[in-house]
Amino acid sequence: MATVTTPITPLPPAPTSKLNHLSQDEQDALKAAVFQRLHPRAYLEKFLAEDVRPDGRSFDGFRDVSVNVGSISTADGSALVRMGNTTVVCGVKAEIAEPELDKEEEGFLVPNLDLPAMCSPKFKSGPPSEEAQVLSDRLNQALLASNLLPLKTLCIEKGKAVWVLYVDATCINYDGNAFDATLLAMVAALRNTTLPKATYNPEIDQTLCSRKTPRVPLKLSPSLPISMSFGIFDSKFVLADPTSFEEPLLDTTISIILGDSNQIVSVSQFGSTMLTVEEDGQDTRRDALAECIEVAKARRAEVANEIFT
Amino acid sequence: MASHVRLDGRKTTETRPIAISFDKLARADGSARFSFGETTALASFSGPIEVRLASELPSKATFEVHLRPLSGVSAADAKSLSSAIRSSLEPSLFLNKAPRTLAQLVIQSLSPSRGASWGDSLSAAVINASSLAIVNAASIPMRGIVCAVAIGSLSDGTLVLDPTDAETAKLRGTGCFAFMFADDIGEAGTEIDCVWTSWRSIVGGYDEKELLRAKEVARVGARTVYSAIKKSIQGAILGVGTAEQTRDEIMKTDESESSDDDEKMII
Repeated sequence: MATVTTPITPLPPAPTSKLNHLSQDEQDALKAAVFQRLHPRAYLEKFLAEDVRPDGRSFDGFRDVSVNVGSISTADGSALVRMGNTTVVCGVKAEIAEPELDKEEEGFLVPNLDLPAMCSPKFKSGPPSEEAQVLSDRLNQALLASNLLPLKTLCIEKGKAVWVLYVDATCINYDGNAFDATLLAMVAALRNTTLPKATYNPEIDQTLCSRKTPRVPLKLSPSLPISMSFGIFDSKFVLADPTSFEEPLLDTTISIILGDSNQIVSVSQFGSTMLTVEEDGQDTRRDALAECIEVAKARRAEVANEIFT
Repeated sequence: MASHVRLDGRKTTETRPIAISFDKLARADGSARFSFGETTALASFSGPIEVRLASELPSKATFEVHLRPLSGVSAADAKSLSSAIRSSLEPSLFLNKAPRTLAQLVIQSLSPSRGASWGDSLSAAVINASSLAIVNAASIPMRGIVCAVAIGSLSDGTLVLDPTDAETAKLRGTGCFAFMFADDIGEAGTEIDCVWTSWRSIVGGYDEKELLRAKEVARVGARTVYSAIKKSIQGAILGVGTAEQTRDEIMKTDESESSDDDEKMII
């Protein structure tokens, strides 16, 4: 008689057997990486169910920020910002131009963000992608709304000559939340900017800058705008400062820009902020915007202390 | 505050006269024109149609929004607004009902945009026209209707709905809010969900209370827009016959939503 109980057959050797030269830890890491690639949503859900994010942060945790100013000597002002792995470098270049006829005393502030193919495989080389254009426009709106640099302070001679500031930012490593990082880089670069003393000479109809007189810093308003962004995943989880892995999975993004003493400069929300929370076995809905603003206020104070003092 | 009189005699919580017409652009699946007073936008919607291979999505329809200004070519500001429109309309559409296709929305502004950026009331008109065009096409099932209004804050803190160009020059803060209205969902009757907020200060900052106050005023304003939209659909489409379907599809949200959840779990 044949044996009744057959021993449990071992699992067929998985293709991972080719990976035998790797240690057990390395094999596990590889499996996790493959799972993350193939099922990004399920991967994120598994982490969030354990109250943690894939990079080990809590839901309302921001990544570390560091700012380095004045590293580009050829620019009139510059800054390099790291926010986790997201790295943005920003340079300010000043030129002289004629003002517009209806705004004789106002200069120009031209912010631009470039997302080159170098910074992430997500982006293609060639003309600026839609994402870069959208971010540039939002940065422009943020700088205008905060009134960081009153445009009248850029006037050299009314109706004849004004400064144009090209605030060019380039992302050199993209790991999500480029908006916050770039706004920080632009503000830091403008704080670092100095302009030569320029005088308009009506006799030759030209503006002259002197190398001998010391350069003057910009007359910025003391209220520096700082942006804090959040994302909502699956109408349940509010994730602060999303990474490039989390970003495409989010239903909603919120950016809150705060000035000094927690004055709100701008709030933009794309998608619904209603959260579905289970309480006593019942689904209730509540708005996440107010709590985001609270978290943003705490974070603003932290960043401002660390970087702008 | 309530006694504040506006230049054109409106109350602070009143929009300019709303006009809606369905233009029947011959080559689009659906089209509509929406105006707040003089601020007008024309939207056309086609879909589901064939999608370019590069932008095909295996689990849902690709939703494209193209926005054209009255003059010139669309620049970064139009791109930025069209991405905002896409994100505010997307929650209202069941794009997963037509995977591997394209849903294309093209909007033509019929009013000049002020200066460098699109005015908030024009943005609101653009969103409302888009919602109407999608309803008019009746080819993609919807969860609700997205309605938007512009709002401004005067220097004394008074909030005014749908500010005109003359008022915009004097504003301290300005913004646009879009809400999604869905009838017959849950026990509460109409469910209202804010899907787009864009609120900026012009001079100085503002606090949280002002934001919430603005949102409430906007919610009331959006409700008037919603009633106008509902009335126009009942008047202009329900008579035509094919529109029975539109209404059914809007009403069927309960069922579709549950099936949507199922699909989410499978994915």
